[in-house]
Amino acid sequence: MVRVEPASFRDPSGRVFYRDGQVFRGLSPVAAQDWRALAATKFFANAVKAGKITATEEAEKTDEWDVVLRHERIPFVSYPFEWSFAMLRDAALLHLDLLQAALAEGLTSKDGSAYNLQWRGASPVFIDVGSFEPARPGEPWAGYRQFCQTMLYPLMLQAHLGLDFQPWLRASVDGVEPARMRKLFGGARRFKAGVLKHVHLHDAVQSRNARSSTGEVRAELRDAGFSAELVKATVRAIDKLVRGLDWQPPASHWTAYQQTCTYSDADRAAKVEFVEAVLSKKSSLTLDLGANDGTYSRLAAKHSDYVVAVESDAAVVDKLYRDLHNEGERRVLPIVMDLADPSPGIGWRGRERASFEQRADADTVLALAVIHHLAIGRNVPLPEIVDWLAALGRRVVVEFVEPADPMAQRLLANKPEGLFPDYRRDVFEKLLGERFTVEHRAELPSGTRTLYCGVRRAG
Amino acid sequence: MVRFVNFVPCGEREATMRLAYLDAGSGSLIVQAVVAGAAGMAVAVKLYWRRLTGRFRRRAEAPTDND
Repeated sequence: MVRVEPASFRDPSGRVFYRDGQVFRGLSPVAAQDWRALAATKFFANAVKAGKITATEEAEKTDEWDVVLRHERIPFVSYPFEWSFAMLRDAALLHLDLLQAALAEGLTSKDGSAYNLQWRGASPVFIDVGSFEPARPGEPWAGYRQFCQTMLYPLMLQAHLGLDFQPWLRASVDGVEPARMRKLFGGARRFKAGVLKHVHLHDAVQSRNARSSTGEVRAELRDAGFSAELVKATVRAIDKLVRGLDWQPPASHWTAYQQTCTYSDADRAAKVEFVEAVLSKKSSLTLDLGANDGTYSRLAAKHSDYVVAVESDAAVVDKLYRDLHNEGERRVLPIVMDLADPSPGIGWRGRERASFEQRADADTVLALAVIHHLAIGRNVPLPEIVDWLAALGRRVVVEFVEPADPMAQRLLANKPEGLFPDYRRDVFEKLLGERFTVEHRAELPSGTRTLYCGVRRAG
Repeated sequence: MVRFVNFVPCGEREATMRLAYLDAGSGSLIVQAVVAGAAGMAVAVKLYWRRLTGRFRRRAEAPTDND
């Protein structure tokens, strides 16, 4: 059965579709010409070999398309609003790196979207092979505005203002517009790196030229002497700017974070032992919900083809990503997401980019030390939480923290007494047993935490 | 005399149509000249100079009732 990728409609010269678990891209006659030009370049072969562009080969042609390409499948599709600062920056640098290599061989990219990139663990990979086309002399980069809106501006928000960019990207599939950025960068902020040109001037020129068509402006620029060398100089300047953007959370963030890690050494050792024992069965995809510093994601990676480490703290994800990236890890993907407010579907009809739940079809779900945060911290009813776990994966490894536990006490102290009469181990065990066959159970030495491993019941 | 200013030669207009899936933004194209550095800045100045002189030229060549 053929399923068309809902996000691939924007460029009508091609379409991505899935058949028999494989990813294909159908190309129109024009896109087929562009593909042949790309396939003949050295940079494309080198980038595929280095894992920078998704592996691509020609597949059997269909009646509908001139050329059909088969792409390597990405283990888990994530979106820019789920990435940390360093992830978005590395993705942006890869996009610019490939664009520079393409320009050197007479090609360019017709867009500049952060959605052109995906991940193999902690390594970015460019997936939109249909983006490349022969460059036209004297024309600036068509993807510049999209690059600004989906990558450069979000990076500036975080690096210059310390604002988490994820909610901005999640709010709009097209990213942050220059006019909106300009309002945020008033006063002395306009003098921060890149802001005058890429934000203020960009918005001013855009609003003064709103009535000129891009065709007219392209011709004017060509007549005024805009050259291929200038396109290269533009991309080099953007690359230099992006490399200079950095963000580190304030030291106080880590102090606060440490207070959420309250395990005794004995509990920690017992928990590792339990998780390692129940994970010995091979999984293709494991979700680690509330991954923190990634200890259990790394452990799961020994027994899984791929692990997605989900954590709501963007600073923690950023540190985990940097560590994994430096280690060259390609099987653990860290993402930023609040478990009580998971990524919804966004874009056209809310289907262009799928919700987290639609993308998460895991063999194993780790939910260690998260249930109490959802049930007490966010008031999510226990039956809802257990249903949600069953929707995400076939097997669950879950930890229940009793109300008497110091961490649960800290959360309960912020709520009226008696608000959660059903937050009890016996109630949780009953609910878990209705949806899962519990195969293993272990109480941690502290006596206030219990671990379970269950397999989802049929039906 | 009425003079039509055609910025895009016919063949190139087709090429432009090929690019049209994404609206690159007129201002986003022009600002790249400034981003490119001194040589690009010269291109931007030339573009605006041509626009300015073009405006005067068009005004001077504007048709009269006698035309």
